[in-house]
Amino acid sequence: MRRPRWQKVLADLRSNPTRSLLVVASIAVGLFALGVMATIYAVSMEDIQRGYALHNPANIAIQSTLISQGLVERLAEVDGVRQAEGARLFSTRVQANPGKWIAIDFQATNDSAEMQINRPTLLEGSWPPGDSEVVLDGYKLPNTNASLGDSITVELPSGMTRQLKLVGVVQDQTIGAFRGAGGYFNAPVQAFVNQHTLELLEQSLPKRFNLLFLTVEGDSANAAHLEEVSARVRDVLEKNDVQIFTSTLRSSTDHPNLYLARALLAVLVVIGLFVVFLSGILITNTLQALLNQQVQQIGILKSVGAQRRQIVGIYLMLNLLYGLIALVIALPLSFQVAFWIVDYLTVQMNTSFFGYRIIPAVILVEVAIAVLMPQLAALAPVLQGTRISVQEALSGIRQNHPPNQGWLDRRISQLRNFSLLLVISLRNTFRRKGRLALTVLTLTLGGAVFIATFNVRVSLVDYLDKIVQYFLADVNITLDRPYRKEEINSLILEVPGVKMVEGWAFARSELLLSDGSVGESVFLLAPPAESPLVKPIMLDGRWIRAGDQNAITLSELFRDRFPDLGIGDTIRLRVNGDETDWVVVGFYQLAGKVSGFAAYTSYEYLSELIHQTGRSVTYRVVSSQLGLSNTQQEALGRAIEAHLERSGISVVDVTTGENLSETTSDGFNVLTAFLLFLSLLTALVGSIGLTGTMSLNVMERTREVGVLRAIGASDRILMVTVLVEGAIIGSMSWLLASVAAFPISALISDAISQSLFGGPADFGYTPTGFIIWLVAVVILSVLASVMPARSATHLTIREVLAYE
Amino acid sequence: MVSIASVQPNYFPPPDQCAGQPLIEMADIVKTFKNAAGEFSALKGISACFYPGEFVSVVGKSGSGKSTLANMITGIDHPTSGTVRIGDTYVHSLSENAMSVWRGVNLGIVFQFFQLMPTLTLLENVMLPMYLARQLTPAGREQRARQLLRTVGLGDLEDKLPAAVSGGQQQSAAIARALATDPPILIADEPTGNLDSRTADEVVDLFASLIDQGKSILMVTHDISLAARTTRTLLISDGELINPWVACALPDLDHSQMLWLTHHLQYRSSLAGEVLTYAMDGSEGLLLVTGGCLELRQPEGIQDRPPLARLGEGSWLLTSELRRYYPAGIELTAGQNTPLEFLLVEGAEFARWLGETPGVEAALRGRPLPWQSTEGNL
Repeated sequence: MRRPRWQKVLADLRSNPTRSLLVVASIAVGLFALGVMATIYAVSMEDIQRGYALHNPANIAIQSTLISQGLVERLAEVDGVRQAEGARLFSTRVQANPGKWIAIDFQATNDSAEMQINRPTLLEGSWPPGDSEVVLDGYKLPNTNASLGDSITVELPSGMTRQLKLVGVVQDQTIGAFRGAGGYFNAPVQAFVNQHTLELLEQSLPKRFNLLFLTVEGDSANAAHLEEVSARVRDVLEKNDVQIFTSTLRSSTDHPNLYLARALLAVLVVIGLFVVFLSGILITNTLQALLNQQVQQIGILKSVGAQRRQIVGIYLMLNLLYGLIALVIALPLSFQVAFWIVDYLTVQMNTSFFGYRIIPAVILVEVAIAVLMPQLAALAPVLQGTRISVQEALSGIRQNHPPNQGWLDRRISQLRNFSLLLVISLRNTFRRKGRLALTVLTLTLGGAVFIATFNVRVSLVDYLDKIVQYFLADVNITLDRPYRKEEINSLILEVPGVKMVEGWAFARSELLLSDGSVGESVFLLAPPAESPLVKPIMLDGRWIRAGDQNAITLSELFRDRFPDLGIGDTIRLRVNGDETDWVVVGFYQLAGKVSGFAAYTSYEYLSELIHQTGRSVTYRVVSSQLGLSNTQQEALGRAIEAHLERSGISVVDVTTGENLSETTSDGFNVLTAFLLFLSLLTALVGSIGLTGTMSLNVMERTREVGVLRAIGASDRILMVTVLVEGAIIGSMSWLLASVAAFPISALISDAISQSLFGGPADFGYTPTGFIIWLVAVVILSVLASVMPARSATHLTIREVLAYE
Repeated sequence: MVSIASVQPNYFPPPDQCAGQPLIEMADIVKTFKNAAGEFSALKGISACFYPGEFVSVVGKSGSGKSTLANMITGIDHPTSGTVRIGDTYVHSLSENAMSVWRGVNLGIVFQFFQLMPTLTLLENVMLPMYLARQLTPAGREQRARQLLRTVGLGDLEDKLPAAVSGGQQQSAAIARALATDPPILIADEPTGNLDSRTADEVVDLFASLIDQGKSILMVTHDISLAARTTRTLLISDGELINPWVACALPDLDHSQMLWLTHHLQYRSSLAGEVLTYAMDGSEGLLLVTGGCLELRQPEGIQDRPPLARLGEGSWLLTSELRRYYPAGIELTAGQNTPLEFLLVEGAEFARWLGETPGVEAALRGRPLPWQSTEGNL
């Protein structure tokens, strides 16, 4: 036979299924939310690094003048190099629709079948690509409107086109790895062809490579080690008269979108902590109510000789059971939902998902919380509840003490000019102030996080808007070679609708460190002085002015990497093989870690340095009409392209400004979608909290419901009384959430900003979140109260009043 | 001061009140509760009528079913079978919602534990039923509520919360609330159960004054002395009503004994002057006169001699007692001018019950014969 203590525990569990359900639900929802977050955290971090490593990613990538396979093989012999592989990279355009061409990057290794480094994963079709065949990366595949087996039309340098058969779709997680972070979202369509197809695509000198991938022996995460090996490799290349344009270093686990994953996870940690806190409140609230309902039983237990320690033991045992039941429900559910989300993120961030699996650490955390949190949350109410004397417990006198009316009670009791229904709802709302406070706190925090996600999104969008200020042109035209600016400007200005044209200069350079070694590649941009097409965000110093010679403004990443670098300091860059000193005049903010090493200088100075004075490859065109849509910008681009082509000028790429903003914001969209999910999760916790409170309130007031019934209350009246109470709580929490949303927005924005940009965020606020949450919280409150309200109407008086 | 306890309750409706249509009619009400232990019948086929202007008390011991009976009338609980008609409404044909609305206008309910809304002041509590029934304007409700509170002596406490006043004051407020919509009927379930005797008296005084104002009241109580102040009392035991003749004539029996007799007594009647043979063969019997009169005569002089004694309505005798007093024999006849109606229990079962039930024999045999008693019914 079971011990009486256990029988009491089990009887408590069974005797009031609704109450048990509420307690279990409040624990389960916290465990669920935490489980989802912890699983996403653990799985994402593991899979993103593991998946990336499976591609055998390059640790060193060097773009250079063409090198032979023989030299590549010699590089493999360099001390510290594990593998070396050459690839031919060239950019052109592919036809997405009739009249619409989009950028595509082709890559061809010496032998695709034997490809060792940056090896893509075959998703469907076949690998390696044969002659006249192409394999595309799946991410931008939809942009081409091509399916497996279709032929894609590729534009050739001669202006002719060639058809290639799409035979395979791969996932290449290294996209963006060597364009600076964020490059993944901006990258064009990625294509893989073999050496023979390369010739068909008019690429002369096959078996010669302009891109070199190397993996290193030893610890690839050690930046100094990578730098040493890289220096040795560059030394060999330079001795063989190879001109290096860029060189990038990366560890084998540093996925190009890891920065984004880290931003997501930073948010997860912040919101996860909130959710744990909310769950704690929820559980405390529910268990407090449970104890209130058990006062009489505590009295009976004491009257038959139970010691306080024994009674505390019974309730802690009951809590343990509640926790374990909640764990059984929440754990598999949280795993399932977390894996769905990870699967979604995998697609969005071009990472791997290694399938459903047990995460022991998450289970351990969940078990610990399921066991400990209810006990901690219930300890105070249990100790308080069991302190009651037998006489108090059995007589219920404690509950019938004349109410000690505080200021709030007096104000509420003075509410007269409302309908009695509203008076009842209002006064009921403030009856259990402790519970009300905890419920409002739960909803407030849930709401504040919800509102904050909208504000954070606005911060990100604001930020994007600022970034767009660096790319203000409607259309960006890239030509096959530098042309005289006057010629191109006048040609483009002939196109109807064009208001302004600017030719910019660009150059890749390498940073030369003080010890003489070569550092990161730096991308130099040079708009004409006082260009209206750039509105920089200056962190320090000033922007480029007319007449500047070797002045340079650097992206914020320089400050992160070289904290001692200041205004007036000099840096040395190797541009086109020439070493030049530049005076730092300012630091601008672009996209932090995302933007990589970039710098602005004056067109006049740079074009002279790269021997392109008065010439430009890239032109930025502004329409005479403001606020063109992407379609309108595309039409303008096509018109300019056609006009230039008619004049014998070969256009390599046409990109619209809108398209540039969209691709840049793709990464942020993942973030905001994720934020929205988290906000819904917190809203769920809040609304379950409210449902619990309302149910407990109704449960405790069944007698009053019976009285109302006895004196003539209809179903509608009972429903409205409960619903109005819920709406009052919801509205109160909205007011408080609106205030709390400001610091929480700042906290989350900062967490994201630190991860993405390495600095604090500029806060943005939008009424959208406040308005949506107001509507949502009222609806949630009403919905949360519907169930308790319906149970109130379903309560027959006989259940509550008939046989006391 | 007259001791209430010394006053015998009245178990019969005043003839003038029960002449018309009953205000409340309960027909064959059965209420069975089911639980893990099995079925339990709280009411076992109760039929009763209540008339306009009556102040009826339902008296019984704890668990006898008196509250269940009240709950059947208020619609707070549903019967397992049987009907309750109040006015023209069959209460249990209404939905829970419709019943609530109907009840708000037609019944005032007073509970043992007052059941005032704890968050509303006494004034608001009294206004609430009017608000729910959408009676009067807000100002009108307030005015009426104030007046009702003054009527029950709470004029200066109207802004107090229930928890801030005494139990008696709460019950007075609850009565005021029950009167708020001016219902014709008040149902009070142990309204004095939580009050001291003086306050209980005041509450019953209040009820009495309401009767004078034309209300009909049904009050459940376990206090026989309070019941004595009502116009009629129903005794209930083990879910059944005790025969009012038994309750009236045999007050020294306990309720279960009364109920046993209720079950076993049979209605009989005899023509005027007819000689009764019941239980005169030496067996045990109890005879209780409910109409006409019963005459005791010596066997040899039936017609021409005056009877030894006459027993009127409510009088009873044990036949074995007759043999003790009249070993030579005695003859029972119906009165010469009116037919006799009586209740009779006889036979071996009665004799066994009499012998085996503690206290019964003493209660029945220990008493002097009615015609020897100074309080006899002759």
